[in-house]
Order: sequence, then structure tokens, then C-alpha cells
Amino acid sequence: MRWLAASTAALALFAQGAAADTFRFTAIPDEDQSRLVERFSKVANYLEERLDVEVEYVPVKSYGATVTAFRNNQVQLAWFGGLSGVQARRLVPGSIALAQSSEDAEFKSYLIAHRSTGLERSEELPAAIEGMSLTFGSRTSTSGRLMPEHFLRERFGEAPDTLFSRVGYSGDHSRTIALVEAGTWDLGAVNYSVWEAAVADDRVDTDKVEVIWATPPYPDYNWTLRGDVDQPFGEGFTEKVRAALLEMDDPELLASFPREAFIPADNALYAPIEDVAEELGLLR
Amino acid sequence: MSADLTERPGHGRYWWRGNSTGLKLARHTLALLALAVVMVPFADLEILTRDPWGELARMAQGLAWPAWGSLESPLQALGLTVAVALWGTLGGMLLGFPLALLFSRSRLVRAGCAFVRAIHELFWALLFLQVFGLSAATALMALAIPYAGIFAKVYAEILEQLPSAPRDALPRGVGRLSRFIYAELPLAWARLSAYTRYRFECGLRASVLLGFVGLPTLGFQLETAFREGRYHEAGALLWLFYLLIASLPWWGHRRLLPLLALGGALLLGPWPAVEGGLLWRFISQDIWPPALLEGDWRGLIDWLARIPNLGPAIGNTLLLGLLGSVGALLVALALWPLASRHFGNPATRLAGRGLLIFLRSTPELMLAFFFLLLLGPSLLPAWLALALHNGALIAFLVARHADAITTGMPGVNASGRLAYELLPRLYPGILALLYYRAEVILRETAILGMLGVATLGYYIDENFEYLLFDVAFFLLLVTAALNIAVDALSRRLRPKETAVIDDPCQR
Repeated sequence: MRWLAASTAALALFAQGAAADTFRFTAIPDEDQSRLVERFSKVANYLEERLDVEVEYVPVKSYGATVTAFRNNQVQLAWFGGLSGVQARRLVPGSIALAQSSEDAEFKSYLIAHRSTGLERSEELPAAIEGMSLTFGSRTSTSGRLMPEHFLRERFGEAPDTLFSRVGYSGDHSRTIALVEAGTWDLGAVNYSVWEAAVADDRVDTDKVEVIWATPPYPDYNWTLRGDVDQPFGEGFTEKVRAALLEMDDPELLASFPREAFIPADNALYAPIEDVAEELGLLR
Repeated sequence: MSADLTERPGHGRYWWRGNSTGLKLARHTLALLALAVVMVPFADLEILTRDPWGELARMAQGLAWPAWGSLESPLQALGLTVAVALWGTLGGMLLGFPLALLFSRSRLVRAGCAFVRAIHELFWALLFLQVFGLSAATALMALAIPYAGIFAKVYAEILEQLPSAPRDALPRGVGRLSRFIYAELPLAWARLSAYTRYRFECGLRASVLLGFVGLPTLGFQLETAFREGRYHEAGALLWLFYLLIASLPWWGHRRLLPLLALGGALLLGPWPAVEGGLLWRFISQDIWPPALLEGDWRGLIDWLARIPNLGPAIGNTLLLGLLGSVGALLVALALWPLASRHFGNPATRLAGRGLLIFLRSTPELMLAFFFLLLLGPSLLPAWLALALHNGALIAFLVARHADAITTGMPGVNASGRLAYELLPRLYPGILALLYYRAEVILRETAILGMLGVATLGYYIDENFEYLLFDVAFFLLLVTAALNIAVDALSRRLRPKETAVIDDPCQR
């Protein structure tokens, strides 16, 4: 009888341990990932302070893995790209886009070209790009693939496969820049903020590769939270998370994303992204 | 010439006729080469170079001046890499051994093993990732399951090649297990353990590769640093891995392994709580076409219509596999003497061994990226990466085998020794290794999709990214069927002489 009581107590403790869950978050891997854990641990500390629960950052390697972790409740909050956010919210009904950054409401992509193509920067997509080779970034990147492809289709009425002589997926914005700079591909589609950062840090030789066109603006990155967090973490938790994100004003923390500030967002904001993704067959 | 042919039939003077082992192997090799040459025009091998030199120079600088200081907890990554490889190999061994005993008797076991072997470790990892998340469980299963298939096959072949006298001496009615323990294991022990050790090295490479999908082994930081062009950091991580492989004979000593295994076990945690719900959802829903689950046949036809065009994908996969295998053979033939004690001086041998470690331990994806910069996007970078990586691996095994041979022909110089003494004895083994490796090469074509070569693996990877697991799973089944067919074909075609795998790992 005594051991029964003891094991019940142990079980209760264990169950409590499971209930007092750690709140976990992640971020899609799309920009400078050096010292990632270190940088995001600071964000975790900030959230811990604001939310009164244990917070942990989970490093994730690919867009797909980020969505999977969110779907499986291995993370409850994630900094998604436009498309990965849509994927995640479709897979986890009830989840909501809480916040975006001031830059993300008007995000854009650049089309960059190797100098030998002879292309100059212009307001409209030049017809001369037809028949050249192009590399996108990651396949499910909103700024490195989805929206550039959408605008290319809109302008030329053709799929990239037929429009260009070759189409590649470099897997990453930095790599797209490096490959176009080396002339491996004529053109590349790249996230504008990654490009600007690379130019500012002198990591790109602008004599060899230049921006030739910028896409119209579209909404992109967002913080998305699972809909079922109020249950384990307490009533009103969603609002606490939203407030913590919107009130994050330490430049050092914001530099991890890298963003200036976060502003409110909602699911409807990303409907255009969803439409484009469906049209391109990336969602079903 | 043709008159000559008809006049003197069957004398075996001509290389295209005789029945000696050497002639058969030569014919076989030439046929393989000819097939590759015939297929080359179908491959997209366009070279496009503009100015890769800046980026290549940065890569070279990174390797020459590794930034040791900027690594984030490298020791833990190193420890985890070893722990995953060790426990993954052990798991594969435990699962593979019983299967090996049934291997020759059960077609079902053979087919099952061929199936699990056919799927690349990375794809296993992507599957388990959906259920177990980023945890050691994912890593271990991604290694142990395909390795079980490999161990079953190789162990079974080693046992088959044992002399039959001890077996025949046993009384009738002795069970399979007793026969194994008393008559087979003692004879096969050295070769079994030699092969297992070799597989452990493969496990280390695979363990690094698992970092590419997010498990925190060395590959995690390596892939990120390389992808983002932080080559000094990538260089440091690569050096760490080269040193790990080069020093394997010392730290991987038999007596140290149990200690490593225990220490490694501590690094593997925390273990995920396996949620039955997730597992069930994945097996019962995610991997099947929604239309099939609803019994909607018309929907299923629509679903099939949306599958990427399989013909060209299979064609590209086979083409790259064939070219990669033939390339690996040529690379192996050219490189093995560099690392063998029969040639050169200690300095050249050290350099040769270093080169082989460099080529076989650098992940193919990185070799491929290097050639992509150098040669532009086509099948060529993938081909070169596969040929060099696998060729260096075969060369390493052949050199070890050659070192075990004592040469004694008086008065021959180095090239004579190579041509008349060593190569004839080594060649059957080289071909046998190539046939083993061809299966691996075919599997590896899958992960070079990054280059835009539309192999089956390219589409599998794509559908994992789109989270369309049903399509990815279907394509995995197609890939597995293809591998099984190629395996069966190569088993039928390969010369019987090479079936006796004179195990080069045994030393």
C-alpha cells in the first residue's frame, strides 16, 4: 500500500512536471545563423521574464522542419516566413499570426543579375531575361521563390521552367548571391533585406552582381502562435505573448531578426500569399 | 581480320573470347565503360564558367586558415557525432544479425533488406523527423534501419563464403543458431568485425550528414557555415572531421569502444516522449494520398496526374548512377597506389592517405558545390562529386587490401609490380567493391538535387519541403523499387569471380 501511495505521488509530480510545460519557440533559418543559439537565447530570456514560464529556443534547420515542429507542438511559437506561416496555420487550426515587423508589411524581393548579362536596373522586368538561367533560394521561401515566381508569371505568362534556360534552387539567400556573383547563374531572386545586409557588410562585389529589379511589396514574415496555448500556460497567455512581442524594444533583441520593431498582424493579411501558393501548387 | 577470326575459333587468344578470369573481368569492365560512353551524350554536361575564382579563393582560404575560435561548442557536436554513429551502427548490427541468418532462406527478408537499404539515411531522417522531432531517436533510427539491411546482406555473404567443412562435421539436426555459434562465428569473426568497423566509419560520415537536416551533429554547423559563406568556420569544422577520421584507428580501438558507447549514451538525451498520436497520424494519414483514404478513385487519378514526370527523373537517376559508378572505378584505379606501401616513399604515402581522407570525408554536397561554382549548373558537378567521393573510398579499401599482399617478383619496377603482380590480384575485389558501392551511389544521386539535377531525390526533397508527405512517400517507394531492380540486375550481371569479396577491411 505504501509503495502504491509513493508511486501515485511520484506520478502526480511527474504529471505536474509535464503540465508546467516549457514554452518553446523557433525561427525559420533564413538569415545569418552564426551564434544563433546565443542570440536567440537572449530573446528566450526576455520572453521568460515577460511570460513567467520557462522559455526555450529550439534551433531548426529548414523551413519544413520549422513547420513540422510547430505542427507537432514541439514549439508553440514561431517566427515564420509568409508561406511557412500559411502552411503552419493550415496544419494547426486555431493558430494565429500575432505580429509582423514594420518592414514585413511592405516586404520585397530583388532580382539580381551577373554583370556579364548586360542588364541594367529598371522599373519594369526587362524582356531580355527570357532564356537566361535563374536560381531561386529555398523552394518554400516566400521572398526567394514564391513571390518572385508569381511576379515573373504575371509579367511573362509562363512558368519559370519554360521562361528560363535553367532554373535552380540554391537553398539559401546568401548562396543565391554567391552563385550569381560567381556567374554560375545569370539571375537570382533574393530577399531584399539579406541583400542590403550583405552590401552593407561588404560581403558582395557589386561590380559583378547588381540588382536589376524590385518586386512590388507583399506581406512576409510573422510570429505565429498555436491556438491551444491558453490551456497549458493559463488563461490570457495568448495576449501576454502578443504584448511581449509588440513591446520588444531592445535593439539588441530586435537585431536577431533583424527588425526595427514588431507591429500587430492577423491571419487575413496573408491571404494573398496563400492564393499564390495554391496557384503554384505548393499548397493543396 | 574477320577471316582470321573464323579460322581459329575458340583458342582464347583474343580478349573478347577467352574464358579465363582476367579476360572475363576485362570484358566486363570494358562493357561498363562502353555503356557509360554511349550514355554520355544523353547527359547534360555543359560547362559554364564566368568568375568563380573569388568565391573559390575564399573557400580555399577558409580551409587554409580555419577559425577555431568561432565554433559554437564543437566538442559537444563532435561527441554527438561519434555517439550517433556508434549507437546507430550498434543498432544496425543488432537488427541485422538475426536477419543475416535468415537472409539466404527467405525472399521476404531479402526484399525487406533491399527496401530499407534503398532509402538514403537523410530521407529516413526526414521521415522520422515528422514523428520524433529533432531528437537522438530520429538520428539513431535513420542510421540503424538502413544499416540493418546492409549488415544483413554483407554478413550473410561473409557467412556464405566460409569453408563448409566445419558445418558438415556437425551432427544432423543441429539448429541454425547452434550451427552459427559453433561452426561459423569463430571462422567469420575477424571478417565480420572488420566489416563492422568499416561500417562505423561510414556511420560517422552519415552522422555528420544528419546534421544537414537539423540534428545537432558536426554537420549542423558545417552546413550552415558553408551555406552562408563563412568558410573559415566551415574549414575548422571540416578539419575537425578529417582529424576524427584520420585518428579513428587510435581512438576507435576495440577496448575503448565500450567506454565511448557509455559516454556517448549520456550525450544522446533528452529522449522525446513518443506520442502515439503523432506516430499514428503519420502512418495512417500523412503518407497516403487523401483521395485514397476517402476511397475517391477519380480523385486518386487526379492525384497521380500531379505527380512529377517520373520518366525523366528515373532516367536522370540511372544515368547519374551509372556515370558516377564508372567514374568511381576510374578514380579508384588512379588513386589507390598513392596510399599503398608498395609505391612511393613515406612522404608521398602520407600525402596520398591525406588526399583520400579529404575526398572521402568531405560531404558530397560540398564537393558538388565546389564543382558547381567551377563548372556551372549541369549534371557534371554531381557526376564529379560522386565519382571522386566514392572512388576515394574504394581506393582507400583497395590500398588496405594491397598492403596485406606480399610481393615477391624479382627485378620488376613499380609499374611492373602494379601491372603484373598487384592489379591482377586486386581487381576482382575492386569490381566487387564497385558493385556494392553502385547501390550507394544510386542512393546518393538523391541528395544532389540541390544542383538542379532532376533526379528522383530532387522531387522527394521538394515534396518534403512542401509537406506533401504522401507524394514524397510514393516517390520513395518508386526509388526503392528502382534500387531493388538495379541490385537484382547487377547481381545477375556481375562476374561470378567478383562475388567472392576478398575482404579488404580485414587487417
